[in-house]
Amino acid sequence: MTPTPHYTHHDNISDAMLAFVQLARGAGLQVGIEEMLSGKRAALEGMILQPDLFYYSLKAIFCTNEEEVQIFNSLYYMFWQDNNGRAKEERKFEPKARQKKKNTGSLMMLGRGEQLEGEEESHNTSGANAMERLQETDFSRVEGIDATFLEEIAEKLLRQMSQRLRRKMKSNKRKGAVDVRKTIRHNINKGGEPIVLLHKSKQPRKQRLILLLDVSGSMDKYSFFLLRFVCILQANFEFVEAFLFSTKLVRITETINSPHLKENLSRLRKQADNWSSGTKIGACLGEFNELYAKRLLNGSSTVIILSDGLETGEPEHLAKEVKQIRLRTRQLIWLNPLKGNPNYKPIQRGMEAALPELDVFQSAHNLRSLLDLEKYLGAV
Amino acid sequence: MNPASFSHPSEIIRQFDDQGYVADLELATILFLLFKLEKPLLLEGNPGVGKTEVAQILAKMLDTELIRLQCYEGLDVNAAVYEWNYQKQLLSIKIQEQSELSIEQKENHIFGEDFLLQRPLLKAITSTEKAPVLLIDEIDRADEEFEAFLLELLSAFQISIPELGTIQAKVKPLVILTSNRTRELSDALKRRCLYHWVSYPDMEKEKRILRKHIPHLQEGLADQMVRLVQLLRDMKLNKQPGIAETIDWAKGLMALGYQQLNAESIEASLGAVVKSQTDIEHIRQQGLDNLIQRSQA
Repeated sequence: MTPTPHYTHHDNISDAMLAFVQLARGAGLQVGIEEMLSGKRAALEGMILQPDLFYYSLKAIFCTNEEEVQIFNSLYYMFWQDNNGRAKEERKFEPKARQKKKNTGSLMMLGRGEQLEGEEESHNTSGANAMERLQETDFSRVEGIDATFLEEIAEKLLRQMSQRLRRKMKSNKRKGAVDVRKTIRHNINKGGEPIVLLHKSKQPRKQRLILLLDVSGSMDKYSFFLLRFVCILQANFEFVEAFLFSTKLVRITETINSPHLKENLSRLRKQADNWSSGTKIGACLGEFNELYAKRLLNGSSTVIILSDGLETGEPEHLAKEVKQIRLRTRQLIWLNPLKGNPNYKPIQRGMEAALPELDVFQSAHNLRSLLDLEKYLGAV
Repeated sequence: MNPASFSHPSEIIRQFDDQGYVADLELATILFLLFKLEKPLLLEGNPGVGKTEVAQILAKMLDTELIRLQCYEGLDVNAAVYEWNYQKQLLSIKIQEQSELSIEQKENHIFGEDFLLQRPLLKAITSTEKAPVLLIDEIDRADEEFEAFLLELLSAFQISIPELGTIQAKVKPLVILTSNRTRELSDALKRRCLYHWVSYPDMEKEKRILRKHIPHLQEGLADQMVRLVQLLRDMKLNKQPGIAETIDWAKGLMALGYQQLNAESIEASLGAVVKSQTDIEHIRQQGLDNLIQRSQA
């Protein structure tokens, strides 16, 4: 038996290609008529006669990034390659049966058992519910498969948000008033006619973002999600500085600027696990004020503190340090994951003391609440 | 050569080989499709894997013009498509002040083709003879707006200019876009393109590439170098060495007169292949001799 693609299950290449496009759509690839026509043309150019050429061609037409190649591979081998006729009967289907094929297709393609069904679904529209649900799920309760999946959608949504922020910044880039003097001078070589208008500049300044993350006790899960969030948004800021604290303050800016963020974060996470649990927020913020604040803070900076506010030191001390930070910065945001609980009231000693100084007091316990931060992070 | 005259991808491999580029069957197949389907090709991959060179070789192979547009943040229509020659327009207005022409005629005159400065994209679709190769380099550096602007060009091979109307390509250019994937491109753009991920070559291929570029490189040295570079790539450095680095490194070693890799020769030439201070420190920490041993294992 020749190893040529067995489009002969269908009457012609068009039908075969159509069925394959439907299968691919079912599995989450974004393909349609355009891809079908291109695929057909490639096949008719003689590619269909040689399996590897045909495979390369369809790969170039159907995939739009490295990740999709994996999905495509399994689809391709399932659909176009003939396992010595064993599975032939199963695959053979008439146009009427296409709908059914499409559904089983996405599962077969997975070949990974049923528990991943939810993950796959999210790639097409019917997965919207799962996505909604995960966006609302508290970070500390996400486990196993959901966790990887959540990271995926988080990455996607945050990147979209990053793009939105950048776009906003551009439209902000309004020019100032016409600078008459510069305009005349510039247009001398054009006969003095004001062809090119020069404006007084009014460039928006990018914000500086300073993060102070509590990693004591149960806070590290939230902290690391916030870190991921900030890393993706980095390009939108003049610079990002990050510190971890529990009983002492650690600067981790180097880590978040490295290209191997994921590995580094998991290493940090292990370190953080060894740290003691009690939190001295006031003392750590004091250290920050003493060592870094003058250098890092200015009128265009935003400081985000992520902590549950369970202070073991003196609340007055905390209040004083928070006030110090507030004076030097444009806005001070305190994220408290506990606030996600509807019954929560900021009555812990530390939280109560800090509250009057804050510009924004928000929860950051799930993806939705992180995305809500968008409105505070645009250009100044 | 004429793009339509190829009847099989293997011919492309041969032609590329003649030009000094080692192409595999997958890349050749996709270039073949580029000719046949007349769709743009998007090449993604790490820096230094030879994406830009594909376009250069292609233009050489087809003996046609290479029109290159280097993208950067803030690239706008004036720099990419067209601009009016303001000075010439002004002079022309002054000259015509005394003439009998009506205002309409004057206006038509100064917005004629003589006054149009063609930038790369316009140039690419107005060529009349041979289809040029249009290289849109590092598209990921351009802004999203520009990406959106490209859509019209890439799908319909036409550009709309407000003063002149829509210009349709007479011969469709062969469009190659490259991206280092510093950001995700829009789905709309990607869907209009054929897609190919250019990965780092395996050991055999990299040796062949080295031999192509430096024919008189000693076999033993080439083997040692390629093994070490492949090991460096596995080490997750901040700046991974690409093929360009391997070639530079080989040239450097030869210029310094080294016949083989040892701690001394690596120390002397490390800057050619590893280009970040932290990476260099990291490598020194591992011990150069140790690295050589590991790579030859």
